Amino acid sequence: MSKAGGVKGAAGANGKGKKGGNGGGGKKEDEREERLQAVVLADSFETRFNPFTLERPRCLLPLANTPLIEYTLEFLAMSGVADIYIYCGAHTEEVEKYIHASKWYPLKSAASPFNSLEIVKTTARSVGDALRDLDGRDLITGDFLLVHGDLVSNLPIDAALAAHRARRIADKNAIMTMILRTGGLEEHRTKSKGITPVFVIDPTQNRCIHYEEMNPLQANKYVNLDPDLLKEHTEMEIRTDLIDCGIDICTPDVLALWAESFDYEVPRRHFLHGVLKDYELNGKTLHTEIVGDHYAARACNLQAYEAVCKDVLARWTYPLVPDSNLLAGQSYKYERGGLCKENGVVLARTCKAGKKTILGKDTSIGDGSLVSNSIIGRRCNIGKNVTINNAYIWDDVSIGDGSTVDRAIIANEAAIGKSCTIQAGALVSYRVKIDDNAQIAPGSRITRAKRKLNNSPEDAKATEEVPSEPSLVGAEGQGYLFEDEDEFSDDEEAAFHSTLIYSTAHLNISSESISTLSSEVSEPPPTNSRSRLSSFAGSISDDGEGGTSNEGFHHDAVDGLLTALKENSSLEDGESSKLEFTGLRLAHDATDHQIRRAIAVAFSKRICQLVDEGTDVSKACVKTFGVTGAERFLKTVAVSGNAEADQVDFLACLEKDLGHRAKGDAVLAGICQRLYQMDVVEEEAVLRWWEEGGGEEGSKGENEKKEGEGEVMNVRGKTGVFIEWLEKAEEESEEDESE
Amino acid sequence: MSPPQSGHAPNLSVFKKSLRAQSLESSIENLISLLKRRQIKNSRPCAIATAELLLRVVARFRWTDIGKLLARIQEVGQRLIQAQPREMVVGNIVRRVLGMIRDEAKEDRHEDMSDSASNMGSPHRRLERATLSGLRDQPPPTFSPLRLDSSKTTPPTINTDKDSDDVFGSSVGGSRPQSSHRPPMLTSHPSYAHLNGIPVQQSMFNLLSATPSPLSTPPGAVSPAGKTTFDAANLAYRVAASSKDLKAEVISGIEEIIDELDQVDDQIAAYAQEHIHSNEVILTHSSSVSVQKFLLKAAEKRKFTVIVAESYPNDHEATHAAVTGKLNGGLDGDDMSTEKFLKPLSSAGITVILMTDAAIFAIMSRVNKVILATHAVIANGGLIAAAGARIIAKAAKVHRTPVIVVSGVYKLSPEYPFEFESLIEYGDPGSIIGYHDGALVENLEVDNPVYDYVPPELVDLYITNLGAHAPSYLYRIVADHYKQEDINFHNPELLF
Repeated sequence: MSKAGGVKGAAGANGKGKKGGNGGGGKKEDEREERLQAVVLADSFETRFNPFTLERPRCLLPLANTPLIEYTLEFLAMSGVADIYIYCGAHTEEVEKYIHASKWYPLKSAASPFNSLEIVKTTARSVGDALRDLDGRDLITGDFLLVHGDLVSNLPIDAALAAHRARRIADKNAIMTMILRTGGLEEHRTKSKGITPVFVIDPTQNRCIHYEEMNPLQANKYVNLDPDLLKEHTEMEIRTDLIDCGIDICTPDVLALWAESFDYEVPRRHFLHGVLKDYELNGKTLHTEIVGDHYAARACNLQAYEAVCKDVLARWTYPLVPDSNLLAGQSYKYERGGLCKENGVVLARTCKAGKKTILGKDTSIGDGSLVSNSIIGRRCNIGKNVTINNAYIWDDVSIGDGSTVDRAIIANEAAIGKSCTIQAGALVSYRVKIDDNAQIAPGSRITRAKRKLNNSPEDAKATEEVPSEPSLVGAEGQGYLFEDEDEFSDDEEAAFHSTLIYSTAHLNISSESISTLSSEVSEPPPTNSRSRLSSFAGSISDDGEGGTSNEGFHHDAVDGLLTALKENSSLEDGESSKLEFTGLRLAHDATDHQIRRAIAVAFSKRICQLVDEGTDVSKACVKTFGVTGAERFLKTVAVSGNAEADQVDFLACLEKDLGHRAKGDAVLAGICQRLYQMDVVEEEAVLRWWEEGGGEEGSKGENEKKEGEGEVMNVRGKTGVFIEWLEKAEEESEEDESE
Repeated sequence: MSPPQSGHAPNLSVFKKSLRAQSLESSIENLISLLKRRQIKNSRPCAIATAELLLRVVARFRWTDIGKLLARIQEVGQRLIQAQPREMVVGNIVRRVLGMIRDEAKEDRHEDMSDSASNMGSPHRRLERATLSGLRDQPPPTFSPLRLDSSKTTPPTINTDKDSDDVFGSSVGGSRPQSSHRPPMLTSHPSYAHLNGIPVQQSMFNLLSATPSPLSTPPGAVSPAGKTTFDAANLAYRVAASSKDLKAEVISGIEEIIDELDQVDDQIAAYAQEHIHSNEVILTHSSSVSVQKFLLKAAEKRKFTVIVAESYPNDHEATHAAVTGKLNGGLDGDDMSTEKFLKPLSSAGITVILMTDAAIFAIMSRVNKVILATHAVIANGGLIAAAGARIIAKAAKVHRTPVIVVSGVYKLSPEYPFEFESLIEYGDPGSIIGYHDGALVENLEVDNPVYDYVPPELVDLYITNLGAHAPSYLYRIVADHYKQEDINFHNPELLF
């Protein structure tokens, strides 16, 4: 056909030669199109792979004995990408070292199919930061692929790319195409569990018109659609069956949008949702390409990791399967039934290495052992009579005679003693040693990583050795139980996705069922001195009534306010915080009620934190409301205009939030008193709120209604005293007046 | 093929173009990863890519010593084979190139010897050449044994007896050193010569009648120790003098292999009318350009019926396309390939019946001949073909229906794998069950073998570009095409 068939290197020149006749404008356009660029977000700025990611970057964790990033880079090579920019957060040096030594690095390896590969170092704390940083660097010249460093896919993207370009040429506002894989309506192992992405799509234009995420903790099971959408679109599909593999074909305008909205952090829940909502403002359209064949998924959390491992074993990812030996030095051979062995595997005569199993080089398995549906890395030493099922064992692991491993991940150089039992969902991290006869409980996470010092957040590098817990790993063992203390993620998905086995049970430490929307859903144990996390966890449950559409607002607002309260400073400048708040509000199109709710939640949460830390309730109230500027802030923002209705609403919000908290009753009484003293609420409002009682509860949905009522009464218990006093005071004042 | 600006995914044509621009090492690595990622797959694209790559390797390699060139090609070949051991044509092409280089080197050597009056070469040819060229230092490129060898494998005009007599009359000398050492084998298969009645066979006849030349040891066989030492010393000297010409010859030799790959299907098709008769019912399976051309050629003169088993799930779309003519995108992604211009069977006047694989046995009683395409042919006469081929062959055996396999010689591999399982590739289960069905994905184990192994006893006849052969005769063609010392070049521990 033509010379311009995507020849690397000489592409620009060829493009010119070929399309020269198209006129001046066409030439430039063409050159831009010739080279496909890709941005790999090697770190997704989450902690879902903890404890493994404490010591290694996520993209280097092995999946079927091949580092995750290899799959992503294979996919990009398969797609014919020329320039790659890799964004790393944590452990950048390790990623850099790995990439520079790999076949992908074009400066050192002749094997690299890429023209350039750059590892961009940033201090970004979120995907949003990384993309804003990218926008500032001016590296992207044309359409680019935005993928995550944990993508496993054998999808040919040429068709999607062509469709994207056709759309973009027709309308330059069509800035992005997301590739989504159908996953069926039934349960599917590779579909995201817990969080269900809801895509509303106009099938006539392949356009995504609304996006939301739903989770089982959420009270209302509704998607809020703008009624205008129904007017504008004759056809509409609301789909929850899609596997979001995170492959986005973007134009540089996407980066500009990220840059404009400094508060967007994650690509879907913030960016996609926000941009779609602001369609009126920005006029940009986002499109979808739904594919029904080939494989595309992200190993974005441990459950997905397991699912993708199984998919690799079942050859769904073909040709990205172990026996393709993608990595130099691999020598896997596939045998019927799904046993994939590398050279040098030593199998005892009576052991059974069965179905869907991968065995790495120089691994030995002793007599009488059974291995099935598992992946075992290189140089592992499996003893006699060991049973391994559904386990993911990385390199250099030794497992003593007679042990049992069931559905667990065991990381490099871990040593399991004799006759141990590792139960389902256990995560055993690097170099952990487990003594003979130990029982590892389901879902436990054991690590030897040095812990960051809690008390010195300014010195993030300071670490300390953590003593081993003999009760857990045995007398001779080494390792301690890992707890998510350093969780900076304000991502509610963490609540679902930090374990290997999906369940909602672990979310609930107290025995209340999820449907009661307990605020304590994932509140860390009380020993945890850093309680910032609790605020985020709490906010999941608070979504109940505000509608998920503005959950983003609620999140940001509560977050910002809490920080301010904690730092005891930011509210000082009442005007600026008010402005910031108003900005947020406008950005999210939040109602007055939502604002009040956010403020109420923030304040009550802060007070509860103080109470938890041992402060007396009244002192905590005084301290919180005593923050300079807090009074003015409350008066102007929370109950603007002194309208009684606003005040009643604010109190109702407080009540509802406190209903779910420990010592809520006492705190509510304290707050009411304090607010009254500060003149934020007037006594008429307080009394009206008291009388209206549980009226607000009606909106909370069926499930929690019964229990909700009980709680409300509980919460109100102590406030009754205050109300009585108020009523008395009023009567007295009335009497005074009458006299 | 989509317009160039959207087709970023690399494939054979992109690879061929990139050969010019890229450095050699990255071309090699590029091909390795394309093979691993299966972006170049199936026999012909793999063979073309390998040949083109080796052409580059020879062109860019600065050698002083023929041994170094051989070592270099072996090294590249080993890497390619390791990348995708199941594409056996890769190894075949490498072996062909190695053998050709050895021949070239030997010819140089012989020439030198004939100069020094130690007339070791085959007498008539040397004489002929001496009178023709007159120049003794410069090996005339047109008359290399390779040239003759490959002209034997790619007879320019096969149909006219007069022509072929000409060509093969002269080719006798070239092929004799390799072939004449096994006369008993030939006599054990006398019937095939008249069965086929084609030029190659004729030349075989000549072989039998010809007097064995002094150089009766095959090139690969153990030669007397004294001779080898002399050769080594002599070789170095010779190569230094004439390496440039040798290089040109090697390159033209590889180009001939590439030409052969281009023409092989048409050459096979030339035999079609001898094997397909009027009103026959032919059963075939999956989509193959070789078979398609074979049938189309026969259809030019005869009317017959073709039953096509669709070979679900890996190839059924291509099969449907071959029948109805709606090819979407080249089969191997090569937009310049000829298959896009192929006429579908149904429009060539053939009565086509499409059916599922499951109905094969039921319909076999009505079938006169089974024609199978192949992925690779192995030295014992068995073949690796699209999954389902074995049931067809077995059903045909039961019904005493002859099974004819259509295959280019380049697919014929000298390897004798003792474990046939290892040759069978397992593909993506996605073509059998949909990935969107979560329950199936979770609870079912789905095997999707891409290939089948058909043992030699189920095959009656092979038709290659050299003519028709019995399965038990294939080892002979292997011996003609590959040198003994190259057969196991990819795993040196098997070399003795």
